[in-house]
Amino acid sequence: MEVKVEGGSDIANESYTKICQDTFRDAGLRSNIDDVYMLCNPKELVFIIAAKIGRVSRPVTVWDITLQEGKKLRITAERYAPKLLALLWDKYGEKVEQLSRLELLLKLEDTEIKELLDLVLYDPKEDLVARILYALDTIIPEGARVRSPIHSTNSVAIIASENPIGEGQKNKAEEIVSKYV
Amino acid sequence: MYKIMMFEGGVYKFYELKELVGDLGGFILQESVMQTETMMHLAFPEEDERKIRNKIKGLGGKFKELPLAGTEIIIVVPSLGKHHAVDPMCDIAEFLRRRGAITNMMGLARGVGMRIAQITTQEKQIIEEFDAAVFVFGTFEECIEEKAKICKKIDIPYMIVGGPLDMEFEHYVGGVGRKTARMRHKNEIDILDSIASELGKALAEKRLDIEEDPIAASPLFIKDMIERTIPPKTGEELPNVIQLDGLRVKIEEEDIEKINEIEIGNKKLSEICEMKKSQYAGYLLKIKSEAVTGALF
Repeated sequence: MEVKVEGGSDIANESYTKICQDTFRDAGLRSNIDDVYMLCNPKELVFIIAAKIGRVSRPVTVWDITLQEGKKLRITAERYAPKLLALLWDKYGEKVEQLSRLELLLKLEDTEIKELLDLVLYDPKEDLVARILYALDTIIPEGARVRSPIHSTNSVAIIASENPIGEGQKNKAEEIVSKYV
Repeated sequence: MYKIMMFEGGVYKFYELKELVGDLGGFILQESVMQTETMMHLAFPEEDERKIRNKIKGLGGKFKELPLAGTEIIIVVPSLGKHHAVDPMCDIAEFLRRRGAITNMMGLARGVGMRIAQITTQEKQIIEEFDAAVFVFGTFEECIEEKAKICKKIDIPYMIVGGPLDMEFEHYVGGVGRKTARMRHKNEIDILDSIASELGKALAEKRLDIEEDPIAASPLFIKDMIERTIPPKTGEELPNVIQLDGLRVKIEEEDIEKINEIEIGNKKLSEICEMKKSQYAGYLLKIKSEAVTGALF
């Protein structure tokens, strides 16, 4: 992920580059974003930030996060456990029994178990934009509360200010975003 | 005048040091014993420092200066949102605590932004209850200049911490700004060091004022007298906090009468202190100057 910050003093640019890197890393988005461009105008308190979406991980299936031991399933990634249980109980009801925290007993036919292992548990594409928006909200200074999205096909971009944002500013922001991202 | 220092060492003949401090007319401000390790904040008359140092040398312990001891500081940030908390405000607060200060933290209700940044009268009154304030702002110079106007309204010593390296304020330390991680590198520790020393400079003016017009009794002495009358509850942390010219006492309303009746020398506490309810926590006791109360002993 490449980050470019412009418009502020050297220290401000350096500081916001680090903030961008750390925020996207904390949100688990570093591998999903190719480029980040941020333009700061501290005099008028206007900020434009754009993140270009790159590769997105493939959907997580039941097979990915469990180990099958006959009629038993052992969960190997605990963070998916609540989602998995909700999905299986919703689909198979009492045929799926939780033996211990990470152990499930499947009272199902072998063919059903095979189908079950292919079920999609979580698709990162589903909430990707929401997670990117959360990260952008964390990066943009809190005082810039007036926000407006910038339309783009392969990126998520926002213009933010503490004053009302005019059409002229929005158009200029669109130009900048299309040039850099 | 009392000097406050920290002792760190083992439990061997530890009680002898406590007895010596008591005999010299000093106080134990904080004490924590962790298995065989002990830590104490000691207050003793300045002229007896050599005796205390010799005793500690004999016990094989360490002695550390606490330049900010006896002060209550407030760290103020534009908001308590994810943009300003927890870094760097907690790092600064922790570092000031290591230098002996008692710290509190506050996020302004409408402190964010540049044009829209403001401070309420209640917030101003709360900040002014403390000995000094540290304002922690962001990275942009223009923004800090605008926000500094808020600070000018404050009537106690204060300093500003921000991102740009140099700015023309009386007490300013740069190189901090917005942070997403703890300040643990060598250069960052150096910056925290300079924050503590700059705050010391800001407080020096207030200390000088008190020296020129001395207060009737030391806050340490009054704290000791209060705790003899109303012993702190078990497990209660810092029930009474000393400030440069007074105290913050966390007591129930029904105990106010008892406190007012405490005898300090030939006067009652109510005669040498002004008491008012704090907007933040407990009650504030401001000790009047000796010129107003007359000699107590």
